[in-house]
Amino acid sequence: MNAMLAPFCCDREAPPRDALSAREVLAVEDVRKTFEEGSQKVEVLRGVSLAVDQGEVVALEGPSGSGKTTLLSIMGCILTPSAGRIRIAGREVSGDEAALRDVRKRSIGFVFQQYNLFPALTALENVEYALNVKGVRGRGANAEAARVLDLVGLGDRKRFLPRDLSGGQKQRVAIARALAGSPEVLLADEPTANLDTAVGTQILELFQKLAKEENKGLVIVTHDPKVRNVADRVVGIRDGRLSDPTEH
Amino acid sequence: MVSLARKNLLHDRLRFVITVAGVAFAVTLVLVQVGLFLGLLGKATVTIENSSADIWVTSRETPNVDFAHSFPETTVLRVRGVAGVEKADNAIVQFMNIMLPSGAEEGCLVYGLEDFSAWNLPWDVESGDPTELRRGDFILMDRSAERRFGPFQVGDYREILGHRFRIIGATRGAASFTTAPVVFMDFRRAQGLQQTVHNRTSYILVKVAPGHDAAQVAERIRAVTPYNDVYTRAEWAARSRNYWVVSTGLGMNMGITVFLGILVGIVVVAQTLYTSAVEHVKEFGTVKAIGGSNWDIYRILGEQALIAAVVGYAIGAAMSFGMRPLLAQLHLNVLVSPQFAATVFAGTVLMCLGAAMLSFKRVAGIDPALVFRA
Ligand SMILES: Nc1ncnc2c1ncn2[C@@H]1O[C@H](COP(=O)(O)OP(=O)(O)O)[C@@H](O)[C@H]1O
Ligand SMILES: [Mg+2]
Repeated sequence: MNAMLAPFCCDREAPPRDALSAREVLAVEDVRKTFEEGSQKVEVLRGVSLAVDQGEVVALEGPSGSGKTTLLSIMGCILTPSAGRIRIAGREVSGDEAALRDVRKRSIGFVFQQYNLFPALTALENVEYALNVKGVRGRGANAEAARVLDLVGLGDRKRFLPRDLSGGQKQRVAIARALAGSPEVLLADEPTANLDTAVGTQILELFQKLAKEENKGLVIVTHDPKVRNVADRVVGIRDGRLSDPTEH
Repeated sequence: MVSLARKNLLHDRLRFVITVAGVAFAVTLVLVQVGLFLGLLGKATVTIENSSADIWVTSRETPNVDFAHSFPETTVLRVRGVAGVEKADNAIVQFMNIMLPSGAEEGCLVYGLEDFSAWNLPWDVESGDPTELRRGDFILMDRSAERRFGPFQVGDYREILGHRFRIIGATRGAASFTTAPVVFMDFRRAQGLQQTVHNRTSYILVKVAPGHDAAQVAERIRAVTPYNDVYTRAEWAARSRNYWVVSTGLGMNMGITVFLGILVGIVVVAQTLYTSAVEHVKEFGTVKAIGGSNWDIYRILGEQALIAAVVGYAIGAAMSFGMRPLLAQLHLNVLVSPQFAATVFAGTVLMCLGAAMLSFKRVAGIDPALVFRA
C-alpha cells in the first residue's frame, strides 16, 4: 500500500488471516433480501455468495431489475440483508446502523451513475468534504484530495464546479472521492451509463488501473459490455441468483 | 474544513437573500419598536430619575408621577421627624391651563418647589436661575414646549390660570409622558393658583441621611403617614412606568409586535431552510452514504441558520440605527441599550436554530439508498 496513505489506515487492525483468503477484502455469503410492499413480498436476492480480493476487478452483469443495485447496496452497507453474512476488510459486519455507518466511513468508496457530486463545491472541495465527513480534517484532507485528483488526471481542474465539468470529468471526480481516505473496497453502480462509448472506456480503464495500483477490491455493476475488457472476473446475476462466475 | 453549509447557502443565493431579509425584518421590527417604546417610556420617569429625592411620599393610590392628587402640606413635618431623613420638602405637580399668544388655551404640567436646587430640579438649565423663581411671578419653561406651544423667548409673558408669569429661563429634557410641557415655578405661587391645592401638596420629596438605607427609612415613614403611600425612587419609577405600560395597552402592543416579528422570522427561516433541505435531499443522502450521520446533517442546517442569524442581525441592526436620525426628526427617540441589543442577538440566534430544527425530522428520515436512484 502507498506509504502516503498510512495516516488514513493506521487505526485499522490487520484482518485475521487464518480462515480466509489472505487477500480477500469483501465477501457476502448466502445473502438474501426480501422487500415487502404492502402485503406482497418480493424476494430480490435468493442466496448470493461472492468474494472479492485486493486488486481484483469484478464485473456484475445482469438485466434490469435482477437485483444488481440491491446486492451492491448490501455490499456497501447501505442496506441490510434479510439473511446471510457480510465480511468487509476481514471483519464481520453487524446490522446496527452505527456499525454500518462506520464501515461505510472506513472501508467503502462509492461511485454512482448520477455522479452525486455536491454542486456547490469545487472538484477539490467535493473530495475534501468527503474526507471531512470520514473524519480526516485540515491540511491532511486537502493534501489527500489533491493527490487523488491528480491520480484521476484532474490536477488542472481542482477549482472547477461540477457544472463546468464534462460527464467524464465529473465521474473522475467521483472516482477520486471514492478513493480518498483509502477504503479497501470500491463499489460502482453503472458508472458509464451516462457517458458516451469513448469516455466510458477511458473511465473503465482508469478505474481498473487505480484499483490495481491502489490495491482495492472493485465491483462494477453494469450492463455495459466494455466492462468485460477491464474485469478480472465477470459475474452474472439473474432473478436474484448468481450465474456461474466466468473467468475472463 | 469544507463548509457544505456555507457553500450551499451561497449557491442558492436568492433563497439566502430571502432568509436574511426575513431575519433582518424581524430584527428591525423588534429593535425599532421596542427601542421607540423604551424611548417613550423614559419620559414617564425622567423627573424621578433626575431629581435627588431618594423617597417619594404620595397621596394614596397615585398611579404615576404626572397624575398627582393632593394631601395636607403639614404631613411633611411628620416626615421630617423620622430617623434617617436628612431633608424633606413639599412638591406640587399639577396640570394647569396656560394661555398662548395665539389665544389658544393649552395644558402644562407645573412643578412647584421652594428650593429647586436642593432637589436637582430642573437638571438641565439652558438659561435663567431656578433660585430666582421665589422672587416674583416667574417661570422656567422647558424647550420641548416649543413643539406644542410654538417658540418662546426668555422675557416673554404667559398667563397661567389667569395669572401673568414672566419666563425667566429655559430648561431642557424635562418632559412628561402625557406630552404636556413642563413648567417650573415657586411652590407657594403654584399653591395659590389653584383652589384644590390650597394648604396642600402633591408629593413630599425625601433625601435619606448618609449611612441610612432608603428602604428602611421608607418603612419608618410609612409608619407615621398612614394616609399616604411611600416609595423609594426605583419603586416610584417602576410604578409610574407600569401605569403607562399597562393602562395604555402599550405593553400588550409591544408584546404583540415582538411576537409577530419573531413569528415572521421563524416562518421565513423555517420555510426557506426546509425547502432547501428538501431540495438537497440527494446531497444529504450522499453524505450518509459516505459515512455521515444525522448529526453531520443537523450541523449543516444549524450552521446555515447561524449564518442567516448573524448576517440578518447585522443588517437589521444597521437598518435600525439608520432609521434613528429619521425618527429623531419626528421627535421619536429609539433607545437601544447594549444589553437589549445583545438580548435581541441571542433571541435571533435561538429563533434561527429553532427554525432549523423544524427540518431535522425531515432529514433524519433520508435513506442513503436513494443515491442509487435516478
Ligand atoms: N426499496 C425497495 N423496495 C421494494 N422493492 C425494491 C426496492 N429496491 C429494489 N426493489 C426491487 O428489487 C428488484 C431489483 O432491483 P435492483 O436491485 O434495483 O435491480 P437492478 O439494479 O439490477 O436493476 C426490482 O424489482 C425492484 O423493483
Ligand atoms: Mg440498478
